[in-house]
Amino acid sequence: MISLAGRDIQHDWGKYVFTGIGLGLLIGVTLTMAGVYRGMVDDGKALLDNSGAELWVVQKETLGPYAEPSSLNDDAYRSILAVQGVSQAANVTYLTMQVRSAERDVRAMVVGIASGEAGTPGWPSYLVAGRQITRSHYEAVADVAAGFALGDRVRIRRHHYTVVGLTRRMVSSGGDPMVFIPLKDAQEAQFLKDNDAVLQSRRRTSENPAFNRASVPGLLDAVITSQSRNPYVNAVLVRLQPGYASDDVAGSIERWQRLTVYTRPEMEGILIGKLIATSAKQIGMFLVILAVVSAAIVAFIIYTMTLGKIREIAVLKLIGTRNRTIASMIMQQALGLGLIGFAVGKIAASFWAPFFPKYVLLVPSDTIAGFFAVVVICMLASLIAIRAALRVDPADAIGG
Amino acid sequence: MSTGIRIEGLKKRYGEGDTAVDALKGVDMYVAPGEVVGLIGPSGSGKSTLLKCLGAVIEPTSGRMTLGDEVIYDNGWKIKDLRALRRDKIGFVFQAPYLIPFLDVTDNVALLPMLAGVPNGIARKRAVELLGALDIAHRAAGMPSQISGGEQQRVSIARALVNRPPVILADEPTAPLDSARALTVIQILHEMAHRYETAIIVVTHDEKIIPTFKRIYHIRDGKTEEEVGEGRVITGAEHG
Amino acid sequence: MKRLPFQGRSMAFAAVLVALVALFAYVALRSGPLAPIAVTVATVQSRSVTPGVFGIGTVESRHRYRVGPTVAGRVKRLMVDVGDQVVAGQLMGEMDPVDLDERVRALDAAYRRSEATVREAELRREFAQTQAERYEQLLAVRSTSQEIVASKQQERQVADAALVATHAELARAGDDRAALVAQRKNIRLVAPADGLVIARDVDPGTTVVAGQTVVEIVDPSSLWVSVRFDQSSTLGLESGLPTQILLRSRRGEPLPGRVTRVEPRADAVTEETIAKVVFNSILDPLPPIGELAEVTVSLLATAPAPVIPNAAVQRVDGQSGVWMLVRGDLQFTPVTLGASDLDGNVQVRRGLSVGDRVVVYSAKALRARSRITVVDRIPGAAP
Repeated sequence: MISLAGRDIQHDWGKYVFTGIGLGLLIGVTLTMAGVYRGMVDDGKALLDNSGAELWVVQKETLGPYAEPSSLNDDAYRSILAVQGVSQAANVTYLTMQVRSAERDVRAMVVGIASGEAGTPGWPSYLVAGRQITRSHYEAVADVAAGFALGDRVRIRRHHYTVVGLTRRMVSSGGDPMVFIPLKDAQEAQFLKDNDAVLQSRRRTSENPAFNRASVPGLLDAVITSQSRNPYVNAVLVRLQPGYASDDVAGSIERWQRLTVYTRPEMEGILIGKLIATSAKQIGMFLVILAVVSAAIVAFIIYTMTLGKIREIAVLKLIGTRNRTIASMIMQQALGLGLIGFAVGKIAASFWAPFFPKYVLLVPSDTIAGFFAVVVICMLASLIAIRAALRVDPADAIGG
Repeated sequence: MSTGIRIEGLKKRYGEGDTAVDALKGVDMYVAPGEVVGLIGPSGSGKSTLLKCLGAVIEPTSGRMTLGDEVIYDNGWKIKDLRALRRDKIGFVFQAPYLIPFLDVTDNVALLPMLAGVPNGIARKRAVELLGALDIAHRAAGMPSQISGGEQQRVSIARALVNRPPVILADEPTAPLDSARALTVIQILHEMAHRYETAIIVVTHDEKIIPTFKRIYHIRDGKTEEEVGEGRVITGAEHG
Repeated sequence: MKRLPFQGRSMAFAAVLVALVALFAYVALRSGPLAPIAVTVATVQSRSVTPGVFGIGTVESRHRYRVGPTVAGRVKRLMVDVGDQVVAGQLMGEMDPVDLDERVRALDAAYRRSEATVREAELRREFAQTQAERYEQLLAVRSTSQEIVASKQQERQVADAALVATHAELARAGDDRAALVAQRKNIRLVAPADGLVIARDVDPGTTVVAGQTVVEIVDPSSLWVSVRFDQSSTLGLESGLPTQILLRSRRGEPLPGRVTRVEPRADAVTEETIAKVVFNSILDPLPPIGELAEVTVSLLATAPAPVIPNAAVQRVDGQSGVWMLVRGDLQFTPVTLGASDLDGNVQVRRGLSVGDRVVVYSAKALRARSRITVVDRIPGAAP
């Protein structure tokens, strides 16, 4: 027995393949949308992974440092280091702002990292070029998504920084690239705006009679100096010694330091449950609609394709072809179309995903789920079409 | 070794009660192996109904049908698998060739034995033989869209013959053809009937070919009447 | 002959299908989790490194004099302004003496009166002495009574005591006067040393309090840079080490200098160590006081040891280490790090040997079972 499905496809394979490509692009769009959704969630997780922390210590009763502003004294980390179970504690600041270079102006999350060696919490965990920061001021490590090259001089607030290293996938939960600079510079950037603002602030202070007293020389200078310092950081990142449970250590810090501490699962809940929840739901709903529409279109195309063969089906029935054979021919064609469509869709999605401005994550589980969905839809659609086809009365082929 | 087709007292009623229509009111027919008979009747005479019963496409109401040496209907189907019956015992030739467009000529013919379980190689050999007998072996590898209408019709005849069915039902096979080609087709049918000992019933009202039949059945109002035909033999000069 | 077009067609179809399958396989293997991660590798070599310490500082003057009155008063006149050179002892300005001169004269008079009192006390004592001696002579010849002799002797003692008191009184008057004279000197604002006036905070006519600075002088030939270094990187910082000083105004021109003093007291709040760095040669023109400078101190070069780029250092399961390439597989090796330099080279004290191959850059975070492919550059990162 020859393969009727194979012969039919071969006979008009151009149209068949084109139909498959059309289906494939639709499937590719759906897979990509799933990738966009997963990419959003992954951005949130990447932020937590990249910080290298097991506990986040933030201002009491805030959801900081990502979901809400949080301010701690920059010497709080010293007492946290003394808590049992803490192996490393490092200050960190986060501020989303514009970073300028000669050619471009990028929205980035500027991260202030404490001095130390590679492995300090907050430091980028791996680089794709260059080196980690070695100087205590005016050096930066930027994510490739920002578009800076090694050696570029970028301006952050009032100072220029030389890009000495590049990272990948170091992004904020919103997908903004991160730029790492020394903590002291970041504290100053968070606090001191531009020179005009600094001058205005000095002027205001010197006009205040409480601070500008002739009988106390040096008072005004002392006040201005204290106002120009920023002793705050946004969070302290903590790593634990092996063998200590994060909940226990978090509890100790909360109790004795009167700060709020979040463990990794809690932080994930905040980031994904609060920060990106709305956007994720938005995309999630669109994904569902897209998937349903894609399924309907695939089903429709297969149904139409089958109905176009009604004449041949009637003749086959007439000359004695079993229903089973006819049904198998239709289903094979539908599945073949589905396979081609799926392959084209996966290939297309993989090729165009890197060009999206935000991260698109194509996970194998989505691919496999998509594959099974396509197969099921093709089978169901072909079954409906087969039913229609087999109802054709071969007697109609014999004219009146 | 077939013994043609015999029909006795075949009746077919459509519908029930007051609206019932008796399309066939007791038809008797016999066609011997190797014989080509004509079946002539106006529309509404029950011609199509008779053809459908003969082709085991619809179920008669009562009567008896014998095909070869097998009783296929005796006030009820005696055969379980009608599809296999149609495939193996009855050949169809229509007005239009109705070839499968995506199979080449050989496979169009070989499909029938393949459906019956015959190995592909043997099926194709048989097909090619028949195509040779019908003088179109040179088209064996072509697709139906690449050959002329007359050649397509011959392929459909080959397909009807390939399973060596005891009976072939030809429904207006010459209707769309001009007289030369029509006579060619009828001549082929006669040749094939003779060669393969097949009983062929040709439903037609084509004046051009009626004279070629030795026996003709007229059907009117659901009953048949036998008539002896002219039985004119087609000579080479009348071929197309 | 009729066979060919049919064959050609199915060949084309087969070709398309094969291409599709190949593309699909390529995509499946090259992207997503099955794809190998691009990494770059470096071979560990043994080298010495020259660690450096980097800090930000401001240009300051070694000596800074803030000249002002010691009592509240009004500024009478100022003879210098910002930018003037002054010499030691030069009169720069004067406070209004108000009643100081009169008070000095009053104390002069009081001194003279004390002197007169002393003279008077001396005369009295002489007389009392003479009287006492006479009566002692009379007592010897029994011309007078014991009682009278005793009282005369007592008068002599009283006169002695009174003399001492008036001497002390004289000294006190003298000191009072000297004090007021000294104070009057302070209404003269005198330059304590050679230098440059860098600030004149008040103008004549302003009332100032005691201790308020009226004029500020620095010694421009003694400029140095007061630098703050992060405490975590100052091991080995000591005076005498060579430095490169990069002034904000002269970006392309690093100036040589050396560390002259590391302050014994660090800044506990900002966690910085402060050091003073001098220029090797006097600059011309002088940089303004307060200009920002970036200072890099070169510490002593270390002995050769295995060196890796600091980008290779990772932290896995609480340990610092590197991913080593062992027979094509990844292996995380904990290391103990040693000295590092400002270019990102860090020595390894324990854990690696020369010739080991370590992963420097990777396109994704690595795990022990990650599939890798070694490349020259990570794609997507500019060279």
